Amino acid sequence: MAVLETQGFKLDNSGKRIVVDPICRIEGHLRIECNVDAKGTIQNAVSTGTMWRGLEVILKGRDPRDAWAFVERICGVCTGVHALASVRCVEDALNIPIPDTANIIRNLMHSTLFAQDHLVHFYHLHALDWVDVVSALKADPKKTSELAQSISKWPNSSPGYYRDLAARLTKFVESGQLGPFRNGYWGHPDYKLPPEANLMAVGHYLEALDFQKEIVKIQTIFGGKNPHPNWLVGGVPCSINVDRAGAVGAINMERLNMVGKIIDDTIDFIDNVYIPDLLAIASFYKHWGAIGNGLASTNLLSYGEFPDIANDQSNKSLLMPRGAILGGDLKNILGVDLKDPAQIQEFVTHSWYKYADESKGLHPWDGVTEPNFVLGKGTKGSKTDIQEIDESAKYSWVKSPRYKGQPVEVGPLARYVIGYASGNPEFKEPVDMVLKTLDVPLTALFSTLGRTAARGLEASWAAHKMKYFYGKLMANIKAGKLDTANVEKWEPSTWPKEAKGAGFCEAPRGALGHWIKIKDTRIDNYQCIVPTTWNAGPRDAKNQIGAYEASLMGTPMAKPEHPLEILRTIHSFDPCLACASHVISPDGQELARVQVR
Amino acid sequence: MTETFYDVLRRQGISRRSFLKFCSLTTASLGLSPTVAPQIAHALENKPRTPVIWIEGLECTCCSESFIRSAHPLAKDAVLSLLSLDYHMTLSAAAGEQLRANAHDTIEKYKGKYILAVEGNPPLNEDGMYCIYYGKPFVETLKKYAKDAKAVIAWGSCASWGCVQAAKPNPTNAVPIDKVITDKPIIKVPGCPPIAEVMTAIVTYVLTFDRLPELDRQGRPKMFYSQRIHDKCYRRPHFDAGQFVEKWDDEAARAGYCLYKIGCKGPTTYNACSTTRWNEGVSFPIQSGHGCIGCSEDGFWDKGSFYDRLTNIPAFGIEANADKVGAVAAGVVGAAVVAHAAVTAIKKASEKSGSTKAEGK
Amino acid sequence: MSIDGRDLKFPKYVWEAPVRIWHWVMALAMVVLCVTGYFIGSPLPSVPGEASDSYLMGYMRFAHFAAAYVFTVMLLMRAYWAIVGNKFSREMFLVPLYVFQPSWWRSFFRVLGHYLFIRRENDWHYGHNQLAMAAMFGMYLLGSVFMIVTGFALYGEGTGMGSWQHSLFSSWVIPLFGQSQDVHTYHHLGMWYLVWFTIVHLYFVIREDITSGLTVVSSMIGGWRDIKN
Repeated sequence: MAVLETQGFKLDNSGKRIVVDPICRIEGHLRIECNVDAKGTIQNAVSTGTMWRGLEVILKGRDPRDAWAFVERICGVCTGVHALASVRCVEDALNIPIPDTANIIRNLMHSTLFAQDHLVHFYHLHALDWVDVVSALKADPKKTSELAQSISKWPNSSPGYYRDLAARLTKFVESGQLGPFRNGYWGHPDYKLPPEANLMAVGHYLEALDFQKEIVKIQTIFGGKNPHPNWLVGGVPCSINVDRAGAVGAINMERLNMVGKIIDDTIDFIDNVYIPDLLAIASFYKHWGAIGNGLASTNLLSYGEFPDIANDQSNKSLLMPRGAILGGDLKNILGVDLKDPAQIQEFVTHSWYKYADESKGLHPWDGVTEPNFVLGKGTKGSKTDIQEIDESAKYSWVKSPRYKGQPVEVGPLARYVIGYASGNPEFKEPVDMVLKTLDVPLTALFSTLGRTAARGLEASWAAHKMKYFYGKLMANIKAGKLDTANVEKWEPSTWPKEAKGAGFCEAPRGALGHWIKIKDTRIDNYQCIVPTTWNAGPRDAKNQIGAYEASLMGTPMAKPEHPLEILRTIHSFDPCLACASHVISPDGQELARVQVR
Repeated sequence: MTETFYDVLRRQGISRRSFLKFCSLTTASLGLSPTVAPQIAHALENKPRTPVIWIEGLECTCCSESFIRSAHPLAKDAVLSLLSLDYHMTLSAAAGEQLRANAHDTIEKYKGKYILAVEGNPPLNEDGMYCIYYGKPFVETLKKYAKDAKAVIAWGSCASWGCVQAAKPNPTNAVPIDKVITDKPIIKVPGCPPIAEVMTAIVTYVLTFDRLPELDRQGRPKMFYSQRIHDKCYRRPHFDAGQFVEKWDDEAARAGYCLYKIGCKGPTTYNACSTTRWNEGVSFPIQSGHGCIGCSEDGFWDKGSFYDRLTNIPAFGIEANADKVGAVAAGVVGAAVVAHAAVTAIKKASEKSGSTKAEGK
Repeated sequence: MSIDGRDLKFPKYVWEAPVRIWHWVMALAMVVLCVTGYFIGSPLPSVPGEASDSYLMGYMRFAHFAAAYVFTVMLLMRAYWAIVGNKFSREMFLVPLYVFQPSWWRSFFRVLGHYLFIRRENDWHYGHNQLAMAAMFGMYLLGSVFMIVTGFALYGEGTGMGSWQHSLFSSWVIPLFGQSQDVHTYHHLGMWYLVWFTIVHLYFVIREDITSGLTVVSSMIGGWRDIKN
């Protein structure tokens, strides 16, 4: 292939090929291949989703009220987001309004996930890209303590605390069994933190690991367990009883107090550990404000989330705004309608599926899927031993969704830019604060650094929203609005013969949509387009590249054989491949025939 | 130099004295003679942390997520002090070549001594390429890593039974791992996901006592999977009394009655949810108002709606539970009997009128 | 002996006392099992008040288990009696051997022909006719064994690992069916199988009593089969 020009990028695959498989610290299976030029700059990037499970095929013919449990198992990291999109989808199809209190509990559960998921992502899936664990061994505990105390009032910051931590870490490293830290890119020239900052971050890595499990207890209280709490079409499954006999078997004052305490602790941890760490670490990596832009400064999408008014999904009700930006036109925020076939389409030109006409995209309601695992002629290796993939042919289990024909980026950054552009102070003020603190221009937002920063700000936003929803819940209980489920249309006999609906959700990773067709009380067709499909998808019929591939373009690599820079940018999206590599099929029979052995 | 279990305990501020006390307590609780205590002490003092290779096939990572929710031991301590998590897709710092090297080094160095933990399962259709690892079918890596393992842990319902991707019609032909690993002891820890503390308890059991837990016929540790959720459910008195939730959020739901009638699968599900509970004992599905969906049972996805008490019989199509099949067939049999009786009566009557001599008397 | 049994000598002592006792106790146990079993699957509307004041499901299950034990013991007793009792007590157990006898099949088709209104005459037998034997074996006996095996497998889940019910039944039956819910489902279906049998059984017993000219219903009370006059 010669140089391919698309969206202002020049894709040149003539340089040295680097293969990173698997990409770790993500959900699911992802492979990235890049070509670097003589200077080590990425000139071509290829994102391959390497798993496929076929959940929508499995859903066909089942009870729509059960669908949430199936699709929830698409992802155990952003657990519950698919369940939420699913119950909304079924409620939309069957026209089931949910009680106000149920809406608040859903918002509370969902904001809980935002706080926990972002926290885990930052510390456990992303931090090791910026923090050199081995360098932390050289830290002076006293100076580390001073550093920690200078940026936050978090109490675990004494010299003794860091001395113990350093001692534990030293012994751990000396044991020779480095466990998850083994063979990391320690000592890589682009690790810029001083030893003290590294030690502080390692300390918070461990504290965050302890604390994240506390946050999810809110989901456990309302949903019974986590990961994979329970949801319900028509409301939420838990009942509220605060003053009568049997209250111990329901959501009662003790449960509510626990929720309240966890919310306070969550705000405390995020505002006093996560955000200060984020700003401290970012201040050493300002140059990453110019790397990893990809589509961030041009094309963005958000479905919006947290309906403050039950059953109202307009921007008046959504606390996190809905909208799209194309061509970098921040002044013109476009509307989004999941049911409009002209707005949302999926392409399979470079995905391992088959369409009758692969030059065209299809709206999820009309989608067709037939797996078609074929490799291009330029592939190095064989069908079951791929050494280098040929991106001019089909090369991923992920499809390529497009908004009005264009690839877009979704996720916290997309939401913050849309919120910022629409002038919402809840989003604008924190962004301005970060830009000012770091002393970087607005353009630094459209980058790997910006993506990571937006996620941190959003975690804090979500934590405070948890408090807000908790207040609303208590007010409702005080006012006696205890209903948590609408059972009017629970029985399938009350349903129309045919119905179709769409359900949306802003997952921590971005815009998530589910589409359903119900026929004779059974699922006739079920489809999802998930955040990582938007971001990780391969090229489309016009060879337009998606967010992952675009964001890697032009990235300088200090040591190409140590793909730290690739990990930084890919991780800044928080990939979730189990989500992305689903299948859309109106016809399960087609698939059942695909037998290889 | 490799750090031993004893070093780890010492490092955590545990004195030699209390370490020996722990060892004798262990012997006592295992019902062994006191003379064994020094042996246990010796074993723990000289044991490097057991390496664990944790791989993921077709899955959703809920097992890993659950694992890091463990409160006792804390996931942090499990990972840093109890075992050596040399390869983990969700936690390892390394990626690509460097991550693969971790697995290969561990297999070389600890042949027959490391534990392979498997989350998810291998698909077999399309030559296994529905799950690609290193450009190759995942099933290849699975077999390769299992070959020299001391034991294999099957995390969750995916690795144990197949779970959601193996629900009908199982388009990728995803199979539980014991279909492809047949020569190693496999500990199945089903659940979607399993309870965090159950996961870490099984790991610590193996490391502390240096033996595999006793398994039931289906390969599950008896200590956590020998009783049904229903057997130890705190709502059981309402079941025995005949007090049931009939509809979501009705008065009975608010009073915490039994969820049996709205499809709770607690009576048929073997797991520790009603005793160990979830997330440090905060709650479990039934306590939070939703019936158990049976997520630790084989094939729980294909038993009809989660909200039906009487589940479907596959052979009779999607809407047929035992009562529907039974009543319809009883109706048919009844109708046949009535028809037969009618014909008998008509024959009888016509015989009587046709001939004066009674037949068969 | 003629093929239609017209030269049989009546009255004949057919059903010995243990068989008659077995029949009626077992019938009663079956009624209790079906009713309680049905309501275990589909419970009655909720009982009001404190849980500690009621034990409806508990009693329902107790009655089910108690009747199940009676049912099982009766069947075991009946199997023993098949060995020591008269030849009629063996009929329903020996069907698997009869099927190798051409004469048995000839009689079978004669009876079938009568029931299909092809043959007018109704053969006489001391004990069961061949079709009844087949039904007693295929529906009643196999059905009962199935219910006992699956029933004890489910019961063993409650008595737990280490109990004889669990060791003898649950430990292999549950994995055989897949999981506990499947065993429940098929146990439930098994109940209907016996209900179907009962309908057919009652009908033919009454029909024979009216049309054959032999005592049928009363023979299970007094034990004697005789020609009605």
